[in-house]
Amino acid sequence: MSFELLILTSIVAGFVGSMSGMGGGVILIPALTFFGMDIKHAIAVSIVSVIATSSGSASAYVRDRITNLKVGMFLEMFTIIGAWAGAAITLVSARRPLFILFGIVLLISWAALFRQRRESWRPVAHQDRFSQWLELEGSYYDQSIGQTLQYRGARAYIGGPLMFGAGLIAGLLGIGAGALKVLIHDLIMGLPPKVSTTTSNLIIGVTALAGTSVYLAAGMIDPGLAAPIILGVVLGATIGTRLLVRMTNQTVRRFFLMVLFVLGVEMMVRGILGS
Amino acid sequence: MQEPTHRLQEEKRGDHFDMETLVGYILLAGVLTSVALLAIGLIWHWTRWGNVQFEHSIVGMNFFEFILSTLRQTASHAVRPRLILNMGIGVLMLTPFLRVLASVFYFALAKRNWKYTFFTGFVFCVLTYSLFLR
Repeated sequence: MSFELLILTSIVAGFVGSMSGMGGGVILIPALTFFGMDIKHAIAVSIVSVIATSSGSASAYVRDRITNLKVGMFLEMFTIIGAWAGAAITLVSARRPLFILFGIVLLISWAALFRQRRESWRPVAHQDRFSQWLELEGSYYDQSIGQTLQYRGARAYIGGPLMFGAGLIAGLLGIGAGALKVLIHDLIMGLPPKVSTTTSNLIIGVTALAGTSVYLAAGMIDPGLAAPIILGVVLGATIGTRLLVRMTNQTVRRFFLMVLFVLGVEMMVRGILGS
Repeated sequence: MQEPTHRLQEEKRGDHFDMETLVGYILLAGVLTSVALLAIGLIWHWTRWGNVQFEHSIVGMNFFEFILSTLRQTASHAVRPRLILNMGIGVLMLTPFLRVLASVFYFALAKRNWKYTFFTGFVFCVLTYSLFLR
């Protein structure tokens, strides 16, 4: 793969990833494998770029005080162990199951992103004692409604173990798995949408680091290859985020979500047929 | 113009330097430094050799060996583009790691919240262990 093609693919992946709200890795891996890169190397290099994109956006959200650090730090305990195990499985796994799993996860994340837009958030009516003990509560200033929103998190005893699964997928497939994390925050723990997306962003960085350490130790991360990919994805994601702030039209987002659907099906077909 | 008022209220409460500020700036500084190093490494290589194909793939080593070997090579030879790239990757990996370490200290020293000192401490230990892994 030529350098020009590599950096262009990475910019597009970062851009489409941020426009669709799914993250760069989900686009990067199908694209890199399409151009002939081995899926395990694509996964390894993608997870390093995930550290960069998630830390970059997390830094802004954290300073805006939307991210709930306690929720994040409690759940990280589960995701890092998951990511560690997931990366170890990928190292010994056959390649075709990775393609199929990638397709399945992409389609589930896709469905999760669709669901998110329709439902509105309802505050947790009753907080269980464990979540109370964990001090899972907070408030943030919501600019769109112009007031401070109070919230409490619940069912951390289910949310924690499920986050192990999200971390496992992240490490296995070299993606942030943000859509899965947001799903757990929303449906199980009852966090407001803005808090769940931004907190998932914070968790992704540390989770990706745990996965990266396994791939680095296996000698699968080549800085000469990783550098242009990281730069490209960060650049693409930055452009995407800037555009997204100004965009009110949902049509463009729907277009990018359709791209993801096609990629998910394509990965599954490649896994089944064994390209 | 709601936000400035909100920020003012926060500052009046005297917590404008808190956990959020600390974590936010660690992440920002880490990513910017890393991206800058990676860009410098690539541009330098390109201006010197006219291409960006690095004839180099690292052998399996853990993160600390990777950092040490980069620093050792930097000290013994002249600084080369490839070492700059290694540093870029190293700084990137250190960013979330330092964020967790700062959180441990914050919860222990500033907040005296032992529950969360334990949680972040656990994350820090698992990460340290996995970075030593090979």
